[in-house]
Amino acid sequence: MAAYTPKGVLTTPIFKNNPIALQILGICSALAVTNSMNTSLVMGLAVIAVTAFSSFFVSLIRNHIPSAIRIIVQMTIIASLVIVVDQVLKAYAYEISKQLSVFVGLIITNCIVMGRAEAFAMQNTPVMSFLDGVGNGLGYAVILLIVGFFRELFGSGSVFGMTILQTTSDGGWYVTNGLMLLPPSAFFVIGLIIWALRSLNPEQVEENEFKITTNTKAKEAV
Amino acid sequence: MASNNSIKKTLTVAFALCIVCSVVVSTAAVVLRPTQQQNQELDRKSNILQVAELYEPGVDVNERFAEAITARVVDLQNGEYAEDKNAETFNQFEAAKDPAQSRTLSGAEDMAGIGRREDYATVYLVGDPDNPDKIILPVRGQGLWSLMSGYLALKGDGNTVVGLSFYDQGETPGLGGEVDNPDWKALWDGKKIYPEGEMDPAIRLVKGGVGPQTPEAEYKVDALSGATLTSNGVTNLLQFWLSDAGFAEYLARFRDTTQGA
Amino acid sequence: MGIRQTLDNLEPHFHKGGKYEKFYALYEAVDTIFYSPPDVTRTTAHVRDGIDLKRIMITVWFCTFPAMFFGMYNAGLQANLAIADGYSALGGWREAVTMTLAGGNDPGSIWADFVLGATYFLPIYLVTFVVGGFWEVLFAVKRGHEVNEGFFVTSVLYALILPATIPLWQVALGITFGVVIGKEIFGGTGKNFLNPALTGRAFLYFAYPAQISGDSVWVAADGYTGATALSTAYSDGMDALHQQLSWLDAFFGFMPGSVGEVSTLAILIGAAVLLWTRIASWRIMLGTFLGMVATSALFNLVGSETNPMFAMPWYWHLVIGGFAFGMVFMATDPVSASMTDKGKLVFGALIGVMTVLIRVVNPAFPEGIMLAILFANLFAPLIDHFVVQANIKRRQKRETAGAMSKETA
Repeated sequence: MAAYTPKGVLTTPIFKNNPIALQILGICSALAVTNSMNTSLVMGLAVIAVTAFSSFFVSLIRNHIPSAIRIIVQMTIIASLVIVVDQVLKAYAYEISKQLSVFVGLIITNCIVMGRAEAFAMQNTPVMSFLDGVGNGLGYAVILLIVGFFRELFGSGSVFGMTILQTTSDGGWYVTNGLMLLPPSAFFVIGLIIWALRSLNPEQVEENEFKITTNTKAKEAV
Repeated sequence: MASNNSIKKTLTVAFALCIVCSVVVSTAAVVLRPTQQQNQELDRKSNILQVAELYEPGVDVNERFAEAITARVVDLQNGEYAEDKNAETFNQFEAAKDPAQSRTLSGAEDMAGIGRREDYATVYLVGDPDNPDKIILPVRGQGLWSLMSGYLALKGDGNTVVGLSFYDQGETPGLGGEVDNPDWKALWDGKKIYPEGEMDPAIRLVKGGVGPQTPEAEYKVDALSGATLTSNGVTNLLQFWLSDAGFAEYLARFRDTTQGA
Repeated sequence: MGIRQTLDNLEPHFHKGGKYEKFYALYEAVDTIFYSPPDVTRTTAHVRDGIDLKRIMITVWFCTFPAMFFGMYNAGLQANLAIADGYSALGGWREAVTMTLAGGNDPGSIWADFVLGATYFLPIYLVTFVVGGFWEVLFAVKRGHEVNEGFFVTSVLYALILPATIPLWQVALGITFGVVIGKEIFGGTGKNFLNPALTGRAFLYFAYPAQISGDSVWVAADGYTGATALSTAYSDGMDALHQQLSWLDAFFGFMPGSVGEVSTLAILIGAAVLLWTRIASWRIMLGTFLGMVATSALFNLVGSETNPMFAMPWYWHLVIGGFAFGMVFMATDPVSASMTDKGKLVFGALIGVMTVLIRVVNPAFPEGIMLAILFANLFAPLIDHFVVQANIKRRQKRETAGAMSKETA
């Protein structure tokens, strides 16, 4: 197994091996919460916290986890952390937790968290696992913020609630794009991000499942 | 490693993990509960202040609320104040789910599409509680996609609208979602609910615009363009909450006092 | 100097190593509009047929002309009627053009109606063509293939399904989305699984609902609200619809609506040509029609107290909204429809059924044909798959049966 460096586990998931853009994990919540930058940011932070600490704790007790109940143990740790995060948000960021509604609770089902616990934390030391969790959480948060930026800018004419494009309902000129407020628009934005990322890093492109044979070249008939 | 998979070890780990996790979770819940409740209160109060046009950014919501607004619980059967209920602690939305404190609405009666109506509701009075400047009523009803919850603010005569604002709705952005549009909300100011001497609400949304020439324009508000079903929802929920099933009995007392005076 | 000569003189610049090598796609597009392509089949397969993709597309383009010209006339007529009723015109340069060419807003004058309608439709079409064409050429140049003729059809269909009053920047955004997201990112014409014109319209429908649905967008007069026949039927029932217009009016197309979709008669003229030249599939049209008739008949039978759309008979479904236009021009798009013969029938039927379902029981969308066709587009490959699998199974069975009978014989 290749040696992991702290810097490596922290930074590769952000663009090179992004959980959303390359592994296509955690799409559901990326669709649901990205209609404003505020919610995207808080959701990103929540996922970073959960992934980092769940990886840390799983790694801490990895030598004592019986393989028969391994998944249940991981789930219990993740679920507890998610509940704690949810409670903290309700107490200190009430407005936003109301907007995020069930999606904080649904971090439990986010494949990124579970995936990192099972794939990385079970084999690595607590500190490395923690950094890996932070890195993957960051990769998730970055995509959320990019999607949130475009959706809020074009959907509501603002960024972080601050008006950038004066909308017509406030007497300005910008007609808001209603599609951007609907969850499906996140599909388009994520798709375009993936397109951009893969144009920059061609090694991310999957191999074709089959090759289309080229047209037969014209030859002089015998 | 093999010892990890013995039954004894499995049980021990499972048990220990459960204990630790449950302690962590319940501690978090207990410690944070008071702050959360404060937040909920604050949220509700600032919504009410907003519809009463008393809210300004940066104002201390609790203080403003305490000095300007009195909460009272109303018995929806007879429109009297229910003195035995504490307005601070009574939660009408939870009461609406409790069969002992609410009743099922059926068929035509359930215009607003809410299923159950609570027996008591909390109203908020601005100024002198016996002769208020404004009366704020909680209203809710089904729109096109979602339950729309909001507050309706009336003047002290119990008949003139000050404003209608929804704090929770999930209608189509750009169409029904325009119930949040300040331009549309401004249309409500000064509209009347009941025709002279009647207790049957006349207020409704109408398609195609309301101009000064429109007959009975004071009871009509321009419907949301392109959102027929959300507009119908708003009409229905107002008709319901302002009818005898809602606050009509209660509002009658204000009309009597003002007309008598 | 003839066109051929000019083109021949220019040609070397566009070949490899020439000055404008990158713009070969543009040269090729212009060249093949005037002349048949220079590539000739050199190997054994010789198809003796004058038809090629370009001619197919041009024929479809011509087939939209009755609907287009009537649509312009009707858009002007509706606006002039409203203006005659006392609403003010929208003004601007359109008004100036109308005044110069037609001298007034007289709804009785066909010429005045036509000119006013044209001042709305032609800019829409122009913007569609320029913006959409820009993307087509950009992708063609970048990918080194030829500009596809399909865009001729996409652009005119897209322009025809928009309301006359739509802001032009929205037209540009919509066609951009339709061409880029609906077609080019999947590899261009032939690989798109959605109809690009409808994709563009669907984008506008969800992004800017206020400018493309509702009551005030169909007639180009200030402040005038005229519901489409569908939304009248939806909110006030069939009786109100009968009062508003007769079936024949709806069939001829004297009602508010998107430019090209109002006149069922004009669309059917185009359909006749398409069917006669065998460009469009009669199976898809038939399937769509039968699906619609069956579903609306079912709803008529079931009936409903609260939903007046249940009572709408099939011959009304046919003439109002975009049903006829969608059935004739959109559903028959050869790229995004099913390929197999049986599949085409099923594909059409799915569109017909879904259209009526959305129109009748979905509270949010009065019109259903756009979403129904896009929905069926998604299912087209699956339908084909099942048809092909069924064929394979049938033939295998025959094969084994044949082998068995030989053995026993």
